[in-house]
Amino acid sequence: MKRQRSLLALIFVMVIAAIAVIAVPPFKIPVPLGLDLRGGSQLTIQVKTTPEIKQITDRELEAVQKVIEGRINGLGVSEPIIQAVPPDKVLVQLPGINDPQQAERVLGGTAQLEFKQQKPGVEPQLIAFRNSNFELKLELEELRKTKDAVAIAKTKEELDKNNSAIAELFESTNPPLTGKFLQDAYGQPTQGKEWKVDIRFDQKGGELFAALTKNIAGTGRNIGIFLDNELISAAGVSAQYAATGITGGGAEISGGFTAKEAQGLGIQLKGGSLPVPVEIAERRTVGATLGKDSIQSSIYAGLGGLILVLIFMVWYYRLPGLIADIALVIYALLSWASFALLGITLTLPGIAGFVLSIGMAVDANILIFERTREELKAGKTLYRSVESGFYRAFSSILDSNVTAWIACAALFWLGSGLVRGFALTLAVGVAVSMFTAITCSRAFMFLAISIPSLRKPELYCPDLQQTSTKAEVAK
Amino acid sequence: MRLSINKSRSLWWGISCAIILVGIISMTISWLNPDIRAPLRPGLDFVGGTRLQLERDCNVPDNCNQPIDIVAVREVARVQGLADSSIQIIGDNGVLIRSKNLDVEQRTNLQKAVVEKIGAVDPQKNQIDSVGPTLGLELFKSGVLALIVSFIGIVLYLAVRFQFDYAVFAIIATFHDVLITLSIFSIMGLSPLRTEVDSLFIVALLTITGFSVNDTVVIYDRIRETLGKNPGQPFTDIVDDSVNQTLSRSINTALAVVLTLVSIFIFGGETLRNFSLALIIGFTTGAYSSIFVASTLLAWWRERQEPPAPASTEPLAN
Repeated sequence: MKRQRSLLALIFVMVIAAIAVIAVPPFKIPVPLGLDLRGGSQLTIQVKTTPEIKQITDRELEAVQKVIEGRINGLGVSEPIIQAVPPDKVLVQLPGINDPQQAERVLGGTAQLEFKQQKPGVEPQLIAFRNSNFELKLELEELRKTKDAVAIAKTKEELDKNNSAIAELFESTNPPLTGKFLQDAYGQPTQGKEWKVDIRFDQKGGELFAALTKNIAGTGRNIGIFLDNELISAAGVSAQYAATGITGGGAEISGGFTAKEAQGLGIQLKGGSLPVPVEIAERRTVGATLGKDSIQSSIYAGLGGLILVLIFMVWYYRLPGLIADIALVIYALLSWASFALLGITLTLPGIAGFVLSIGMAVDANILIFERTREELKAGKTLYRSVESGFYRAFSSILDSNVTAWIACAALFWLGSGLVRGFALTLAVGVAVSMFTAITCSRAFMFLAISIPSLRKPELYCPDLQQTSTKAEVAK
Repeated sequence: MRLSINKSRSLWWGISCAIILVGIISMTISWLNPDIRAPLRPGLDFVGGTRLQLERDCNVPDNCNQPIDIVAVREVARVQGLADSSIQIIGDNGVLIRSKNLDVEQRTNLQKAVVEKIGAVDPQKNQIDSVGPTLGLELFKSGVLALIVSFIGIVLYLAVRFQFDYAVFAIIATFHDVLITLSIFSIMGLSPLRTEVDSLFIVALLTITGFSVNDTVVIYDRIRETLGKNPGQPFTDIVDDSVNQTLSRSINTALAVVLTLVSIFIFGGETLRNFSLALIIGFTTGAYSSIFVASTLLAWWRERQEPPAPASTEPLAN
């Protein structure tokens, strides 16, 4: 009995601790809700290979993740989650963002910046190409208003051709002066209505820039500032720099930007350029109210169902049913506290896993009490029946729970996001239910049969007298 | 009341086979249907595309006076070159547009144009999903792979704890439950309900697998125990006894779980409706197959292994 006492004390302490973790402010650890439950946007970014980088290794993925982190942080979203998902994806979660347009724009582009020098003797072509480039852009603008999808696509294609033709007229420095030599970039208003992007090179970048400007100073040739291989800005360098080039490591890009564009470009450039191209493979958005509606009604429904189950247990199993109910409530508290302590993010599939584990917890209790009943009907004493009820049911509970764990382990290692959340809550739930069904129910049952007024077999098996003659009938 | 499940096993097998057969026919019809081209009607998660669900904001004065004109919304889609999109009105004030995968610009344009026609929408209630087809396929592949690995793990564990044939039949029974759930959802996909399966459906199938194996293991555990006590008895009798002894447990457990699921199905959010339905079907067949399929198959197999005529050779032990 002394062992029983200390066990009861242990259970009591655990329940108090669980309640503290769930609800009492200084100890409270909230269980974070997944985006499907609290609303927000989730973007899955697919990292792509290039002819140079044929395989995405952890290094590339980590680099991409860093860049994306930089860009997202520049947007000022609260509590973003950026996760690398090997082998080749990055998951971005933006809680509370209903329309991730700006995030998509910032993330989608590679924003490969490069300063190039104009090749000698191509001035006439450059002027012609830039004129038609300007016209094509105007045309595209007009077409967008008419929403003529076919014509838009055609004009876009021409514009792309034109852009690469212009890029052909410029050549890279050696090594190419790209975004990787940038130290800082930020949007700034100009005197007019337009915005520009100010950039600062690091030391090496500053040297390259000085060499580049020195090279073309006074020749009438231009520096071309290319973003993703599109010329945004071109400028000549006056002859006064022919001796030293432009030193100091600063430059500016003026391309007729709006405030938003300039700031976005600044973030993209500062965040660094991506080592490999990316594409947004999936975006999911759940409005905050929609998430809330669905979680609230589902939680109420689940609770309602559980209360029915608790009532059923008492009605069918009498005193043991009541004990099982107490054990189930303890089970729910301990599981929830475990989710909080393990930092599990609760998603819809996670709730499903939790519901299934509640089912398994109920099943464990049912197994034990059915067994106890059988032993009672076979004419054993109350104490012996309870004892062997727990003892005999243990092997089925163990086997069924171990199979559940095997399944959870496979799902967790091999499954993707949704499936993993499910496997995790189920595994935790099953582990906790092993404890509550075997330890809590058992301690309470033995406590109950140590109280003389509760030591009546009818409280454990209502129709004992009538059925004891035909012991083999189970119902 | 005592069930002699082994006597009427051809009936139980017949019922199961009939449902599965209808399901297979339905899956074949779905497969041949040019609109579906898969055994079950695949949702956005598997085919890719953009799904835009908007709900009008009725707090704006006069916003919800007119019902949503679906023809006008269709016209908007057609103008944007999305004539083959599927457009549905949800409830009184919601509209659901499904189209090929759109990029940010296209999607914003579509959304703006629709809002012009139907009135202001409540951004808090929007649901916008865009999925590339490869992602759903990956989820499907990883789900199936996880399932196969967990099957192998379970077979190994059961083969050690029980015997190899127990393990095989437990998996067959689980397969049976998954097949029946697939069948019913395939039929629902063909029916006017046009039920689609999404990635949550895969989670549901995994859950069903877990429950079904669990349920079968409990009966097998009892068979093992009864067999240990009465080694001389014919195997079919042992199976009959064990099933009867665990019958009220099987029913009560299934009842307890299905009770919770039914309340989620009826009162829960829209998002969980098909999911809970899949679980209800799967768990019910899981309980059925543990009682009527897994145990009778085991009895049938053991009978074939040991022909029931040992009386002439040696006297039985005990």
